[in-house]
Amino acid sequence: MTDMTSPIAPIRTQTANPVAPGRTPWKAEAVGFVLGFALLALLPLVFGDTYARHILIMAFIYAIVASNWDLSLGYGGVFNFGHLALFGIGVYAYSLLTKLSGLDPWIALFASGIIATLAAIVVTIPILRLKGIYIILVTFGFAQLVMQVILSQSDITGGTQGIVRIPGLYWFDHNMVRDGKFAYFYIALALLVASTLFLRVFVRSRTGASIVALRDNEEYAISRGVSIVRQRMLTLAASAFFTGIAGAFYAAYQRNASIDVFGMSLATIILSMVLLGGTSTIYGAIVASFVLTIFAEWMADFGAWRPMITAVLIIGVMLAYPSGLAGMIKAAWGAVAGRIKRPA
Amino acid sequence: MSALAEILFGGLFQGSLYAMMAVGLALVWTTIGVFNFSHGVFMMLGAYIAWQLVEIGLPAAVAFPVAVVVMAGVGWILQASVVRPLIGRPNIVLVVVITTLAAGSLIENGALTIWGPRSKQIPALIDGNTTIGGVGVSLHQIAIIVITPLILAALWVFLNRTRLGLALRAVAQNEDASHLVGLNVTALYGLAFAIAASLAGLAGIFMGGYRFMSPVMGSDPLLKALIVVVFGGISSISGPIFAAYLIGFFEAACSYYFGLYWTPALLFGVLILTLMVRPEGIFASRSRGLA
Amino acid sequence: MTPVLTVEGVTAGYGRVTVLHDISLEAGRFGNVGLFGPNGHGKTTLLRAISGLLKPKSGSIRFDGQDIAGLSARAIVGTGLIHVPQGNRLFPDLSIADCMALGAYSARARPHEAENREKVIKLFPKLAQRWRQRVRTLSGGERQMVSIGTALMSHPRLLILDEPTLGLAPKIKDELCASVMDISRGGVPLIVVEQDIEFLLELTQQLYLVNHGAVATEIKPGESLDHGEIMSMYFGH
Repeated sequence: MTDMTSPIAPIRTQTANPVAPGRTPWKAEAVGFVLGFALLALLPLVFGDTYARHILIMAFIYAIVASNWDLSLGYGGVFNFGHLALFGIGVYAYSLLTKLSGLDPWIALFASGIIATLAAIVVTIPILRLKGIYIILVTFGFAQLVMQVILSQSDITGGTQGIVRIPGLYWFDHNMVRDGKFAYFYIALALLVASTLFLRVFVRSRTGASIVALRDNEEYAISRGVSIVRQRMLTLAASAFFTGIAGAFYAAYQRNASIDVFGMSLATIILSMVLLGGTSTIYGAIVASFVLTIFAEWMADFGAWRPMITAVLIIGVMLAYPSGLAGMIKAAWGAVAGRIKRPA
Repeated sequence: MSALAEILFGGLFQGSLYAMMAVGLALVWTTIGVFNFSHGVFMMLGAYIAWQLVEIGLPAAVAFPVAVVVMAGVGWILQASVVRPLIGRPNIVLVVVITTLAAGSLIENGALTIWGPRSKQIPALIDGNTTIGGVGVSLHQIAIIVITPLILAALWVFLNRTRLGLALRAVAQNEDASHLVGLNVTALYGLAFAIAASLAGLAGIFMGGYRFMSPVMGSDPLLKALIVVVFGGISSISGPIFAAYLIGFFEAACSYYFGLYWTPALLFGVLILTLMVRPEGIFASRSRGLA
Repeated sequence: MTPVLTVEGVTAGYGRVTVLHDISLEAGRFGNVGLFGPNGHGKTTLLRAISGLLKPKSGSIRFDGQDIAGLSARAIVGTGLIHVPQGNRLFPDLSIADCMALGAYSARARPHEAENREKVIKLFPKLAQRWRQRVRTLSGGERQMVSIGTALMSHPRLLILDEPTLGLAPKIKDELCASVMDISRGGVPLIVVEQDIEFLLELTQQLYLVNHGAVATEIKPGESLDHGEIMSMYFGH
């Protein structure tokens, strides 16, 4: 509730932001990071079929989008509901740059990240002084209007038809189409590694700390010289770059662009990845992206029931564990640990 | 003359639909402090329930009110299942966004499973067409233009002239103090959701009477209602109503003079400019309250 | 006289933070009760636990023989135990008339609405002049009058006031003190939390010093202390 009475407010802010008191030392994190991604790199050897690789590629794309959203939503506390629009802007920027201006796909990929970043800076302007629900509304409105504009400018964007036959990425003379999605898998993984590295370094930096400080106690942070305007812009811009690149990669990989990327269903899925993973961890969102993507595949047999089962599960987890799967695992671990300790 | 009539008519008509939707969003926000992202799905469900009732042979005059009442129940249940358990939790605004989105997806896919993807249409409120000021309009649309302000006025009377309405306005302002005068805060939260869902359901019935229905028919109006609410400010009931009509007229004028092609872009520009000057909406007051 | 309200071994808090530690006190045996003590030591939390805004983790709260611990705030209002919360913000965008109507919302208070309204107007004639005005447009003292008036509309059998004089000018404090005294003389026992010791000494017969979520000292009538002694207790010497 927005109307919090004074005795509760300070306590709530503490419980709301479970930043571990003992942070993981960076060396331990680096080891885990390398091991985790090395394991992912070995996956194509296990999963020989093209379809399994396709699922993993999609999971990597979602993981990039979700973990970058966690930066603005979880760390920054900025309820940016236009995050998927940044992804969509990446999709359309890449498509138009490669198709209309004939730009080199790799340059277009990078440029799409820049364009998404610029878009994020534009959205930040109206929300600089806003709080909570107003940020949700304005950013959501922004996303929808971007979609409306793309829809209405059908001469260049294709409107509801979308854009087809978008140039894909290339890798020297390697045949990208008939390699069982081998190359796309490693490009997606490389992007995820780069994005995750960037996010983790960012949140562990002084800037990251000041962003969290701003979220947890705005007045105090401002009084200590943290600039809300600069930090908010920085958070959103930082969360936009790899999101835009992910959009561009998505367009290059799918070879087509459609307005669906702005739709409610994709936003719901990605947002559930962020929230189920537990905010302010980066890794949580990535793990949840894998879990949800694979889970959705596993349920493919349920057909029309699949989205309904997913919805019920999301609601169930959010009601029982508002801090997401991370909270669920913590609670389960606590129960197990408690049982181990008890006999002693 | 016909230009003016067209803009006036188009604006009133679109504004009415936007107002019906936006008012429910604002009602829920002001009383509970959460944002209901399944509001568009309420609209769809209201239309489908009305369609189903007409299909089993009820006359529209019975089917429509029954559908609206059923929607009140749906709103109440949704509130009790995905909103109420979260009240008092940290991050409630964010968590409710995801639970209502998920509930919306559940209902939307449920409707798809039950009723299938084929488009449907429900009877118009009044059949027939007429010409006003050189513009041909359907009587159904005229009915919507007339009924909507009456319903909004009735809502205003309920909120401002009845004890229950007073209680709703009180909860919107101070939850603790409402407890301390003995209000049943949980029931009032349910009531706010029920009213919002009924209004959305009625908007769905309006829409199903002149356009084909589909399970995703609510998502676009929800987005428009969101824009209306951003524009008009969410912390009151009157702000979004004015904004709804204002945007209705703006769109009608834009599409008349510049064509549908440019209307979204122009609306976008106006919205961004408005937000830079008045980030809390043009009619917004700083506090939450139903008035 | 038997106590109207008995708090026994109540433990309460927010989340994992415990604010009240096994606190016990009683009210109504010797007239009005005053609670004082440093900020953040549980006075407001205790009042919230009594009025049902906060569920106690353990302990019992008996009002007029009935155990009310764990009841909803609405049910407790129904028993006639009325709590005027701290800060006079109440319902900023409602008119005084609206607030009074809300005060009489409970089934118990509804039949007495007209009679209680007369009482409030007699007690605070200033409110009658501003009857249709929004609460946010009133002065601090007037807003406090609205808060207390709303509580009177609830037909209280016990009235709890949380820092009624917070932020008020001395002259207005005196007026308010006189009005609250009137209420008490009208037969409604009071529990008052207050930082202003003079105000408490004037209004109440029995005092509790609340410290670290428990009663540190009880001062019964006859053990009347002077201001200096109380201040030294306050600061823990």
